[in-house]
Amino acid sequence: MSHLVDAKSMLDTRGLYEGPTVHGVNPLLLIEKIIRERIFESLYWKEHCFGLNAATLLDRAVQLTYIGGQFANQRPTPFLCLAFKLLQLQPPKEIVLFYLSQTEFKYLRALGAFYARLTFHHVEVYKTLEPYLSDYRKLKVRGQAGWRIECMDEFIDDLLTKDRVCDIALPRIPSRAQLEDLEELEPREDVLGSEGEDTETEGEGDD
Amino acid sequence: MTDKSNVYGSAGDTTHRKTWDRAEFAAKAEERTAREKAEAKARYEAKAAGKKYHRQQTPPSQKSGTRERKLNLEENLNKTTIVPAGAGIGKRGKGAGFYCDVCDLTYKDSLQWVDHLNSKQHLFAVGESGEVEVATLEDVKERFTMLVDRRDREMKEGDWDLKRRLEERKKLDEEERRIKREKRKEKKRKEREEKEKAEKMVGVVTEGDGKGDGEEEDEEMKMMRMMGFGGGFGSTKKKN
Repeated sequence: MSHLVDAKSMLDTRGLYEGPTVHGVNPLLLIEKIIRERIFESLYWKEHCFGLNAATLLDRAVQLTYIGGQFANQRPTPFLCLAFKLLQLQPPKEIVLFYLSQTEFKYLRALGAFYARLTFHHVEVYKTLEPYLSDYRKLKVRGQAGWRIECMDEFIDDLLTKDRVCDIALPRIPSRAQLEDLEELEPREDVLGSEGEDTETEGEGDD
Repeated sequence: MTDKSNVYGSAGDTTHRKTWDRAEFAAKAEERTAREKAEAKARYEAKAAGKKYHRQQTPPSQKSGTRERKLNLEENLNKTTIVPAGAGIGKRGKGAGFYCDVCDLTYKDSLQWVDHLNSKQHLFAVGESGEVEVATLEDVKERFTMLVDRRDREMKEGDWDLKRRLEERKKLDEEERRIKREKRKEKKRKEREEKEKAEKMVGVVTEGDGKGDGEEEDEEMKMMRMMGFGGGFGSTKKKN
């Protein structure tokens, strides 16, 4: 089992596409053409994303210091390049879940979350990402306008509710309320839910 | 001729000759004939189909991987290099710029250079297949623990206690100075020994003179001493 060192051949438009698909299309097409081109042109992609696999990608992911889409003169961020690389590699789900579940490197988790939002089925997106709404670590975001600070829970919330994050149009997913109405999702349990009850019972005990 | 022993010992002794592993070479021959047969068959089939036969080049089997370290693109920045005349034309050969000694090509800018390093042509030349091993979850976990360990170690090593670091530096300097001092001492000792030896030699020669060892040598020594290199590398001061 092996994959190619770069992504060019996956975008070969001669004949039918036969590789793995996400949401019924070539996964690389989830990133718009213009950003794809910019990623291919960027030095980070050429120099650091070459010949990676799901394990060596960690080397790069732990060195990330910010997230974001494009910055300066519409250059793609390393974060975006790595997300694109993941789309090419198509790692199995357990590896993505591992990226998400580890607690050591926050930017790796952000990368995993972004990838999960791009590729997972909509019910799974909610089920996998919602637990990380209780992660409040700060993330640096670099955009066209400059730098700002965002927390992990904000980022996850954006992934779940917005249709453009990091300058990428995310695949459309039904809102949580719709999925609840369709009974595909259970109503979300509040993280504080149990604690609230505890205080209530305590209060009752006092009475 | 009738004598049994010759240069190599006894006549029948041929142990000096190369011995051949018959089984190994038989296997080799078999493999070669099989390969040739397969190729002949492919050639025949191609001809029957009305096509030209092209021998398949076997692609390198070594898997590609990611670069271990950053490319040093600024390596030759602001440096003067001598380039052969006519190097400015085309990419062939060594010229000013990024030179690939495997493919014998020179690139003028870093993007082209990185593109070349990623190209199939270059990968083939260095014996890589251009394919990457797929990582399993175990690989990922292993890599992850390695990275966590490395980070922790670096955090620990890059300690921020200035006093301690200064002390360590001091110790290191002291050690260096000690080594230098010892080297100097050793050098001096050797020089002294050399000198003593030379003096002794001179003494021997002069003693020999007394015995009438040779008129010529005596003359030569005298001449040499007069010119200031009378024996050894010691001082040129006159000793008589």
